[in-house]
Amino acid sequence: MKKQALTKLSFIFALLSLAFILNACSQKKETTGTSDDRKYIIATDTTFAPFEFEDTNGEFVGIDMDLLNAIAEDQGFTFEIKPLGFNAAVQALESNQVDGVIAGMSITDERKEKFDFSDAYFDSGVVMAVSEKEKNISSYADLKGKNVAIKTGTEGATFANSIKDKYGFTTTTFDDSSNMYEEVKSGNAVATFEDYPVIAYGINQGNGLKLATEKEAGGQYGFAVNQGENEALIKMFNEGLQHLKDSGQYQEIVDKYLATPESKASETGFIGLIKENYKKLLDGLGKTLLITLVSILLAAIIGILFGLLSVAPNRGLKVIATLYVDLMRGLPLIVLAFFIYFGIPSLTGIRLSATIAGITTLSLNAGAYIAEIVRGGINAVDNGQLEAARSLGLPYGKAMQKVILPQAIRMMIPSFINQFVITLKDTSILSVIGLVELTQTGKIIIARNLQSFDMWLIIGLIYIIVITILTKISKQLERRIQNG
Amino acid sequence: MAKLKVTNLKKSFGSLEVLKDLNLEVKEGEVLCLIGPSGSGKSTFLRCMNQLEAVTAGHVIIDGQDLTSTETNINQVRQNIGMVFQHFNLFPHLTVAKNITLSPIEIKGENKEQANQNALRLLEIVGLKEKADVFPSSLSGGQKQRVAIARALAMQPNIMLFDEPTSALDPEMVGDVLAVMKKLAKDGMTMIVVTHEMGFAREVADRVIFMDGGYIVEEGSPEQIFDHPTQQRTKDFLDKVL
Ligand SMILES: Nc1ncnc2c1ncn2[C@@H]1O[C@H](COP(=O)(O)OP(=O)(O)O)[C@@H](O)[C@H]1O
Ligand SMILES: [Mg+2]
Repeated sequence: MKKQALTKLSFIFALLSLAFILNACSQKKETTGTSDDRKYIIATDTTFAPFEFEDTNGEFVGIDMDLLNAIAEDQGFTFEIKPLGFNAAVQALESNQVDGVIAGMSITDERKEKFDFSDAYFDSGVVMAVSEKEKNISSYADLKGKNVAIKTGTEGATFANSIKDKYGFTTTTFDDSSNMYEEVKSGNAVATFEDYPVIAYGINQGNGLKLATEKEAGGQYGFAVNQGENEALIKMFNEGLQHLKDSGQYQEIVDKYLATPESKASETGFIGLIKENYKKLLDGLGKTLLITLVSILLAAIIGILFGLLSVAPNRGLKVIATLYVDLMRGLPLIVLAFFIYFGIPSLTGIRLSATIAGITTLSLNAGAYIAEIVRGGINAVDNGQLEAARSLGLPYGKAMQKVILPQAIRMMIPSFINQFVITLKDTSILSVIGLVELTQTGKIIIARNLQSFDMWLIIGLIYIIVITILTKISKQLERRIQNG
Repeated sequence: MAKLKVTNLKKSFGSLEVLKDLNLEVKEGEVLCLIGPSGSGKSTFLRCMNQLEAVTAGHVIIDGQDLTSTETNINQVRQNIGMVFQHFNLFPHLTVAKNITLSPIEIKGENKEQANQNALRLLEIVGLKEKADVFPSSLSGGQKQRVAIARALAMQPNIMLFDEPTSALDPEMVGDVLAVMKKLAKDGMTMIVVTHEMGFAREVADRVIFMDGGYIVEEGSPEQIFDHPTQQRTKDFLDKVL
């Protein structure tokens, strides 16, 4: 995390210095040439759907972007977009490193002291949304005795909490919009409160909800420049905005992102989703398989080692093996993953990549289970086998290797295949440390298109298909081994 | 010098004392039959003789070498002591021939061909030459036990321990196995046989030992033990089994 933040920071720094140089150049130009051929630098947020975000092709789109493009065309100026993140964008503007900021920014008195704002180009405000199929809830009063889903830190949450006593409903808090929408769709919560543009975009993307109320009066979004600077730019923005509103192009742009489905073409339906995302899904699947294979191989080594220790005649060795197995079996995988990914670096200062941390986690965990499989397999071999081998003069190690293990392994194979499947599925838990395997890939796609039902169905099917195929192959191998 | 000598041998499993101060001497070429009721400690006694069970106290001395000493290389000694188990304990994942050649190849360093030829010779002796390449699962109990004997013989031991080699067999199989054992005895092998086959004991044994409750109660020639037992416990036991 730290590392990521650091690279982000240096990236922003590089951008800022670039912006600064460009700015300096353009300022020089201003003193010498005309203002017509000047290129404005506009900062924005990195992702704030539906105002600015990356689409499936990796292009920066959104209401802000489309509006700015249309206005620039209308007014005949050129600009360059810098997606710096909201706070960095505001700071860059304060220090004159950029000419303006458009980032779904509310016009507030506090900001007006520093910045000049354009006319408001968007009215936000909290609205209530319910499931598409909901018929009985159309006002706050209908919420009496019901449960409502909200997302932490949003205006919607603040608003819901402020009226819940008055209307007699309870709230459940989520970290993540798509989970919140699922909660409402599944009926566990009857409604949700969210900023109008955010929820309207969700509905636009087919999240299965509908708006239930008019939006509460809320913030107005404006385009900002530094106070006293770039008056011309504000003027052009206001004029352009008015033209777009008059021509209906403004409404078109807003509808593109916020209108209720029907008209929406892309990314719906099972096949469409697969078509659009198959490359990312394959990448995720590849990562899942790679991590599974490497982990299960390491786990096999760990498992055989500790499994042999656990049946060793020496008590001390047995204790070591038991400790290891008990420790790993007692730890939930997710806790182990967090411990390795966050704990080890803070303890030792050694940074682990998510992949390395993930493989370590799974190897240690599966290693313990394989140790138990090995122990069980060896114990399942009749004691008379070891006695017969030893009575012939075979030393313990040789007797193990030539007589016990060959029989034990045959018995272990089904459990081993089982463990392989479990480990493959357990890779999905590694999404918590940000490892972009199949499940995390799904989460990322859903964050964009909000099609959680279809996407999870696709992801689930991929797991089932892959696991079925791998199990079939393993069974084939097993049969071959059993038959000598 | 005695081939095998046991002095003051005691064996406990936890707090259960199973063998209580046993003493025994076996001469080269002698055939000894151990009889006694179930649970009297016969198997444990036999297993102490090749250290499959570690003794609690006392000594087991073979050819002058004390097996209970930590200096003794037990793997080395065991090569000279063949053992045949009640439940055969053949290796199910190996063919009959490989069951027999495993040990000679792995620890005696015999080459495969030599070991194989020896295996075939031994299989011929026990009457199972044609079974060399099958897996143990396809053999009858009696055939399995004869393979087990051949496997033990492959290490060219000079003592053979048998733990009820015929008790797990159908009656019609018993004769074949006993015939092989008789042949071994006639060829001069030193043998210690735990058995319930009183006919075999009477015919083949040089000496019969009756054990009960962890003690050797009575020992002597087959005639002495079977026809003129001096101890009441021996008499009671024989009344039940004969
Ligand atoms: N590994 C063991 N652990 C605990 N007790 C044992 C073990 N082996 C044998 N015994 C006990 O020792 C006694 C003698 O057993 P064993 O030598 O098998 O008798 P026998 O062969 O004469 O029937 C029995 O009471 C048996 O339960
Ligand atoms: Mg017994």
